[in-house]
Amino acid sequence: MEFSHDRSGDTLVVTASGRVDGSNASDFLESLQGMFDPGDQRIILDLGGLEYISSAGLRVLLMAAQNLDRQSKSFSICSLTEAVGDVFRISGFDQIINVFPSVEAAKQG
Amino acid sequence: MQRTLHLSHPPEQGHPSDVLPLIEDILNEMAEADDWPVTLTMRANLILEELVLNTLTHGDTSGLTVIDLELESENHALTIRLSDDGSAFNPLTDAPVPDVSLPLADRPIGGLGVYLVKTMGEELEYRRENDRNHLKLVVHPE
Repeated sequence: MEFSHDRSGDTLVVTASGRVDGSNASDFLESLQGMFDPGDQRIILDLGGLEYISSAGLRVLLMAAQNLDRQSKSFSICSLTEAVGDVFRISGFDQIINVFPSVEAAKQG
Repeated sequence: MQRTLHLSHPPEQGHPSDVLPLIEDILNEMAEADDWPVTLTMRANLILEELVLNTLTHGDTSGLTVIDLELESENHALTIRLSDDGSAFNPLTDAPVPDVSLPLADRPIGGLGVYLVKTMGEELEYRRENDRNHLKLVVHPE
């Protein structure tokens, strides 16, 4: 997987691309949490370049969402591809995590 | 198009998840040949990852020496047949199923893999025969 992040004020946009499966899900969690600063109030995860996600990757997203929720921080995901969006829908993740079509839409949230 | 894959246990390579690129390669080849919708490729990958890693890493794997995988694709439907010589395990009934209607704070972290297999898979059949587990399911793009 590849990551980048862009911080503007209290908003952090994290971009993750590639594949997340049983072989690298723990690295995904570590990388993600390593990017969060205590001052970040709003975290947007751009998954537009995500080619594949299995339940191991979904678990990481769930843990991150629950962790941020406990800290009363805003967490949203955006730019899902058709195939990743299908997995989100079936797992019910689109009901518990805010999903937006683009980073811009997520910022306006 | 048909493809088979034989995965030995313990894996020839170092880690159970090293089998994932082998599965990915075969599915990509079938997806290209049979012009699969992207959702079918995703679902097939996800289901096979869950089932194979489950067999390789969960429960009693002491007697397990091989997982045999048969894949058959026709009209954008993929039939998966998995069999292994490990101890009896029916992932359709022997694994806990999470309640996906719970709100974020209450959602359990585990159990999602088997739930996705049961939701994305159709015509699911398990049988224990000749000391082997046999699992069959059909995957559609939607």
